[in-house]
Amino acid sequence: MRKLSLYLSLAIVLIVGAAMVGCQKSGDAGTAISPKASDTIKIGLAGAQTGSDGEIGLSMLNGSQVAIDEWNAKGGVLGKKIESIALDDEASGQKAVTVAQSLIDAGVVAVIGHFNSGCTIPASRLYNDAKIVEISPGSTNPQYTEQGFPDAFRICGRDDQQGAVIASFLRDVRKFDKIAILDDKTTYGEGLATVVKNAFEAKGGTVVMFQGIEKNDLDFRANISVIQGSGAQALVWGGMYNGGGPLCVQMRQAGLTIPFVSDDGCQDQAFVNMVGGNAENVFVSFGKDYNSTPAAQAFIQKYKDTYHRDVGSYSVYGYDAAQVLLTAIDKAQSTDADKVAAVLKGQPFDTIQGQIEFDSKGDLKVADYVIWTVKDNKLQELSPTP
Amino acid sequence: MSSTLTEILIGGISRGAMYALVALGYTMVYGVLGMINFAHGEIFMIGMFSCVYAIGIFSVAWGNQVLLNLTLGIAVAMIFSAAYGYANERIAYRRLRKAHVLAPLTSAIGISTFLQYFIFLTVSRDSVNFPRFYSDFLTNNHIHLGPVQVTYLQLMILGLTLVIMAGLFYLIHFTRIGIALRATAQDQLMASLVGIPVNRIIAFTFILGSALAAIAGVMFSMYNNVLVFDAGYRVGLKAFTAAILGGIGNVPGAVLGAMIIGLTEALTTLQFGSEWNDVTTFGMLMLVLLVRPRGILGERVADKV
Repeated sequence: MRKLSLYLSLAIVLIVGAAMVGCQKSGDAGTAISPKASDTIKIGLAGAQTGSDGEIGLSMLNGSQVAIDEWNAKGGVLGKKIESIALDDEASGQKAVTVAQSLIDAGVVAVIGHFNSGCTIPASRLYNDAKIVEISPGSTNPQYTEQGFPDAFRICGRDDQQGAVIASFLRDVRKFDKIAILDDKTTYGEGLATVVKNAFEAKGGTVVMFQGIEKNDLDFRANISVIQGSGAQALVWGGMYNGGGPLCVQMRQAGLTIPFVSDDGCQDQAFVNMVGGNAENVFVSFGKDYNSTPAAQAFIQKYKDTYHRDVGSYSVYGYDAAQVLLTAIDKAQSTDADKVAAVLKGQPFDTIQGQIEFDSKGDLKVADYVIWTVKDNKLQELSPTP
Repeated sequence: MSSTLTEILIGGISRGAMYALVALGYTMVYGVLGMINFAHGEIFMIGMFSCVYAIGIFSVAWGNQVLLNLTLGIAVAMIFSAAYGYANERIAYRRLRKAHVLAPLTSAIGISTFLQYFIFLTVSRDSVNFPRFYSDFLTNNHIHLGPVQVTYLQLMILGLTLVIMAGLFYLIHFTRIGIALRATAQDQLMASLVGIPVNRIIAFTFILGSALAAIAGVMFSMYNNVLVFDAGYRVGLKAFTAAILGGIGNVPGAVLGAMIIGLTEALTTLQFGSEWNDVTTFGMLMLVLLVRPRGILGERVADKV
């Protein structure tokens, strides 16, 4: 009897688990590898699908998948169908290197990803050695394109541009003298925090507190006490919304009402929902609002029809990255990395973001960071834009 | 004492009390089985999710009765976590009790990963808010201690920790079931020969530890305003460290260790910045273990008669 109950509970666990896995596959960008491998052009989709950045990472990958589906409906590229291989790097740099190697072994001709800068940078070395084009839709750490890799691109701004916008907002618009900065100790968060610090100090301001906190540490009481004692006029959070949300709420509960300023990592409705009624005096830097432009509506509708959920902040970027990549492969009439890269750097592309051009490093020529704020429970561009 | 320092100390004690609630579960299972339950952090996480979902269901069923729904929510969380703890014992431990010591350790890590991603895939991929309607009366009401405020929630967390510690101590040292626990801890075969139902005693340990983890989970999610599927990992790590620091298997030791870690982290944030938290915490752990290899208070449940 006892044994029976043990086996039963094991069986139930396995069945439920298997059912979950089954549901997952049909819903999201899967890893379907078809047997007729040589008849397809393989594109790697790399990024966080699980872990605390899983939601935002997956919405980016799904955006790319929508573009790939569109091309396949038109007959693919270079006369072949496009096959996407989506792999999960769990937002970990170590895992990202493994993912990069698996994609290279699977014979991908290009990679869209990764999401986190801490993944993109270590993985880019492998792609560079294997002569594979990489376009990151979301990694903003400057170091990625500063490595001198000819085939590495990003379709978003850089943290030195973003940090400058935050610093200028605090110093030039708000005229603050003293700010506190806290980051989540990731390549991305700490990198951005450092840029803001340097830019703010270059403008004659003082950074009265500059600290980092472990990514999953959700109790910020000690940091908040230090900020309260330091006389800072604003707090800058360098990191993702899963830390930024609780930090903002705990700050308000402790009676600290100074502006909470964060970065593109907090540009997500999930952040607004977390902060809820405490969303006053909250500012976030991000690219312009593309989700409400007419150009994006067709994509957003397709995304909703396919995945039955709303687009994330990075879905448009994922979609644009795939569109630009496939257009470049089509124009180059080749999957050779150097030829594709030459096309990418040689001409402007029409995307949802508008017309974009890459510079010789693989960065966008014009970054479009603006400050957003929370109004009526939604993130909106702060107007008039500074 | 400056008000910043006082605030830091109060924050540190609350943080320590939270670690302590989790550490008690680690220490109980170790005290009886001599094994570390690595899935404990996930039981803690399941506790916070079940509480919030139960509160949601109750408020739909009969409206927003703050005290009633919160109390019932905590009760549901304890029952759910206890069930998961029991299942954990049946699946990951019982068969492996006589196996090499690494076997149950590995299977517990497996259960831990499984539960994390089970919740991630089925319940929520994103952080969820604790319903603030239910925690506001605890977080927004203060008592004044000189220049600083202590919230009701902070008092409640500290009070719960001390009461539970005292209760466990009493249970282990002054009741019949406590005698059975200690006997099982000393020698399972001998205990079963004198008629102690060893299997049930061990299951009881898991159930009790898991129910405590649920309370910790609810307090954690109210205090930090957030529930997330991987919250158990870091808190579990710190609580586990606390249990070792105080002397694993030792109930007051776990609370002492947790308080020391909470205060160390808070003071580190004040002095050096929170990026040094792990350095100071684990550095101190190493120093303490060099001087007292069995922790500050030492000993297992069994050794203390």
